[in-house]
Amino acid sequence: MFEEASEVLENMLKWSFPLSLVLFLVLVCPLRAEAAHEFSVYRMQQYDLQGQTYGSRNAILNTEARTVDAEVLSRRCVMVRLADFSYEKYQKALRQSAGAVVIILPQNMSTMPQDIVQQFMELEPELLATETIVPVYFALEDEELLSIYTQTQISSSSQGSSSAAEVLLHTATANGFQMVTSGAQSKAVSDWAITSLEGRLTGAGGEDLPTIVLVAHYDSFGVAPWLSYGADSNGSGVAVLLELARLFSRLYSYKRTHAGYNLLFFLSGGGKFNYQGTKRWLEDNLDHTDSSLLQDNVAFVLCLDTLGNSDNLHLHVSKPPKEGSPQHALLRELETVAAHQHPDLKFSMVHKKINLADDTLAWEHERFGIRRLPAFTLSHLESHRSPARHSIMDMRSVSSLEGAGEDTAGPHVDLTKLSRNTKVIAEALARVIYNLTEKGVGGDLQIFTEQMQVQEDQLASLVDWLTAQPRAAQLLDKDSSIVNTLEYYLSRYLKDVKRHLVRADKRDPEFVFYDQLKQTMNAYRVKPAIFDLLLAVCIASYLGVLYLAVQNFGLLYGFLRRVTAPRVKQH
Amino acid sequence: MTLFHFGNCFSLAYFPYFITYKCSGLSEYNAFWRCVQAGATYLFVQLCKMLFLATFFPTWEGGAGVYDFVGEFMKATVDLADLLGLHLVMSRNAGKGEYKIMVAAMGWATAELIMSRCIPLWVGARGIEFDWKYIQMSFDSNISLVHYIAMAAVVWMFTRYDLPKSFRLPVTILLGLCVYKGFLME
Repeated sequence: MFEEASEVLENMLKWSFPLSLVLFLVLVCPLRAEAAHEFSVYRMQQYDLQGQTYGSRNAILNTEARTVDAEVLSRRCVMVRLADFSYEKYQKALRQSAGAVVIILPQNMSTMPQDIVQQFMELEPELLATETIVPVYFALEDEELLSIYTQTQISSSSQGSSSAAEVLLHTATANGFQMVTSGAQSKAVSDWAITSLEGRLTGAGGEDLPTIVLVAHYDSFGVAPWLSYGADSNGSGVAVLLELARLFSRLYSYKRTHAGYNLLFFLSGGGKFNYQGTKRWLEDNLDHTDSSLLQDNVAFVLCLDTLGNSDNLHLHVSKPPKEGSPQHALLRELETVAAHQHPDLKFSMVHKKINLADDTLAWEHERFGIRRLPAFTLSHLESHRSPARHSIMDMRSVSSLEGAGEDTAGPHVDLTKLSRNTKVIAEALARVIYNLTEKGVGGDLQIFTEQMQVQEDQLASLVDWLTAQPRAAQLLDKDSSIVNTLEYYLSRYLKDVKRHLVRADKRDPEFVFYDQLKQTMNAYRVKPAIFDLLLAVCIASYLGVLYLAVQNFGLLYGFLRRVTAPRVKQH
Repeated sequence: MTLFHFGNCFSLAYFPYFITYKCSGLSEYNAFWRCVQAGATYLFVQLCKMLFLATFFPTWEGGAGVYDFVGEFMKATVDLADLLGLHLVMSRNAGKGEYKIMVAAMGWATAELIMSRCIPLWVGARGIEFDWKYIQMSFDSNISLVHYIAMAAVVWMFTRYDLPKSFRLPVTILLGLCVYKGFLME
């Protein structure tokens, strides 16, 4: 048979060479299969700061899925739900050189109990501190992912404990999953520009006026850049700064209320990465230009950091202000306003010396302090190490408008408290620039009322807009919509709005960012290898039976004839 | 799932044909070329059917849930062309009855196998994702082999003029079943 077959094929081939060429191309082309499920995953942070590397180094993966209770984890993708996540399990996965770790977060964080959220927030810095080769991903849970997880869990936990027959049955019926990411290996992003924005309100009355600088950093930080929304830290700070800009620009637009202070507003980028924006801005303004508002008469610098919640307000200083200095005046005014107008607010000063031996600076005012500018930071947090400053749990929760009784998990922004804090700061600043205490104005007088009042819905929409997308420094380049919108907003109220770019130094970079932070992961349903062998054995036996049947068809036929004797016609 | 899985499905689909060819004695009759001719006739008939369907039965737009009985019925009637094609092949082959039936059926079924099953198996069974449908498809091709042999036999019987009258009716019914199999399944 083969000779005639080959003859026929030869004839056909002679006339169908193009066809066979196409066939060859079809055979060689790469495959694209449809996945059981495709979902977005967000990678853990990866960055270098001042030469120190942090976070997960690797990005690609193509491994089988397992859950954390399985025994063999090496070269597998470990899937964990947030509720089951703990540091020991994470360490266990790393020790066994797992292929990857995927942490599944619930769609709606408010369904998680408080203690789990707290625990996770405390773990975030530890996760980042251990530099690892294992890619760590975060995924938001949906139904299909949950079903994949439960199936994987069933198959993982049943390994190693059943008999051979059960294992065989199990291979035939169960589903394994292969997780594959579509991106490339992560590499450093070259020439990333961190943008900062400044704007000013010039004071009335000629040259050499004292300057007050108001600073807030607009980026956010979390264990995964694409998931860090930074509602309280520092979306609240930015909202307060923008609202202050609006209020004071209104005051300055009338001749009678045009005060004798210059107000300089600065939105710094790269704040969570040791205040890179501020550092370079200071260098440029103090070292490289001849005249700048910062060089002359600076009354003080007020940094705003995390003001969206709680009934505490702390003024962090690196040196307690001297009597008679403008900083002392502000301190006094803040105390006055808090005591007279908002008795529920507990205001205090926290003194912490700048420690240059630390890896990173504590608060933003320390940057100014190093350059001998009087500065402080206002925050409702007591310590700079608070996990709320670097957490992905810091999100705009839906219920904060309805407010008080609801115990929402994680840090979030409470609008009434945010607007109260804004008012306190505005009142205190106004009292300083108009010198109200010296003029004998009592502590009860409220300036910002009626038409000049702090608009809570303005604050609400600002915070909503800021938390609608992640604001990690790696995601905001100079063309991003957030930077553009902030610039536009500032230019509505302030004059001389300028951008300031920071690029890492080529030879000795202070910061290096890496890409591949968001990828699409495909989960393919696969069967274990034994299944293939099993199937081959079954097919071989089936074919054997068929062969025998066909060979002995005569026997079968005769049998059938005998059974249905009178009915069959013979032809 | 892998090339191995593809090999499994391929062997499940093709080997019965191979076995049937070898063991039914066709090889002694040098029937390979005739089988290929039968296959070519299959291609031609399918082409005609498709052209006919495309021309005279535009896509039915109305009602997603309503099953268009009349339209589908007409479409299934076109499958009568299959029977005609089988008859054509068999009439062109001189020889004993069994020989004709086997040649026609083998060629027809093999052509159908290559045309409709090869590409899905190649593309799908080789991918990472596993699906039971590929094994089902291969098994289905076995069943359709038997089905085509039976269909060819019935067509042959139908055309025999020395068939006793009593057998006409069952034969006709069986033929009808063959044609409207797809229609009845819906």
